[in-house]
Amino acid sequence: MSLPYLFRTLVSLLLVVGVTAPVLAGKPTEQIQQTTDKILSIVKDPALKGPSKAQERRGSVRKAVDERFDWEEMARRSLGRYWAQRTAEEKREFVRLFSELVERTYMGKVEDYSGEKVRYEGETIDGDYAVVKVIIMTQKNKDISVDYRLQKEGTGWLVYDVSIEGVSLVNNYRTQFNSIILQSSYENLLKRLKVKVARE
Amino acid sequence: MKKFDLELMVGLFILAGIICLGYLSIKLGKMEVLGGKGYEVYAIFSNIGGLKTGSSIEVAGVDMGRVKSITLDNYQARVVLNLPWSLKIQEDAIASVKTKGLIGEKYIEITPGGSEKVIEPGGRMRETQPAVDLEELISKFVFGKI
Repeated sequence: MSLPYLFRTLVSLLLVVGVTAPVLAGKPTEQIQQTTDKILSIVKDPALKGPSKAQERRGSVRKAVDERFDWEEMARRSLGRYWAQRTAEEKREFVRLFSELVERTYMGKVEDYSGEKVRYEGETIDGDYAVVKVIIMTQKNKDISVDYRLQKEGTGWLVYDVSIEGVSLVNNYRTQFNSIILQSSYENLLKRLKVKVARE
Repeated sequence: MKKFDLELMVGLFILAGIICLGYLSIKLGKMEVLGGKGYEVYAIFSNIGGLKTGSSIEVAGVDMGRVKSITLDNYQARVVLNLPWSLKIQEDAIASVKTKGLIGEKYIEITPGGSEKVIEPGGRMRETQPAVDLEELISKFVFGKI
């Protein structure tokens, strides 16, 4: 009588452990949702409104984005075949410039926030990779589909590519960077990135 | 005896003609006999916008292979790409469905990546970019303004 009972407890215990273990790592959608909510709360925060607080607001948004985005992986994928030819020092500088470029390009869009809603359309996980589909509903009833591609990094998931309406950010930068490097040089690409980052 | 020779010559001539015709149609139709050369990888797209079996695969605008087959897999398009052995595809390479010109035929463009890992024959290209639906994009701009 006690043996089957023991067995049953053991099995149910195993089941519980087996089910909860992946949940601890956090699902990709949950992590995207967390970051999105964090950014939305910063943008909506009345204490951070107004031009005088712009610097502070940008800083907090950047911090929230940095937690979820794998800038090095993104920069590596964007530079493509030329990444391996760079020294460690050059790679570091490139990652910094790249992350600034992306953030400056999209920060304006975040600042223009006007009550858009975010709908989560599900996720697909394949080993250490995942895709989270999101729809951003604007007030004019335009739906914009955004796909986040994530990679498992330790206990969390980090974004390495974003597709907006099916157009991949990494692919866009990769073709541009490649053609600039082919036409001139890596140094020229760095110069252009620096100008672009300084201007905006 | 002479008559037999004439018939033999005509027969040989026609045979040669048929072989030439077969060779031409295979070459022009870019069909592959005996399984074709190279290796295969597959990719999953959310929308291929009318890509067809036999469509070309380009790297930097250079024709490097053909689409071998297209099947529907869990309401997504599963495309098998036939590539030459000389072309190695990195794990982070991106396959995107593109259009020749504004309304031209569809093809697959591969932008090579920087990863050291190479996709094995039969492997999957994880990074894909679906066909951009121009009509839908335009309608978003047109009707969005109301």
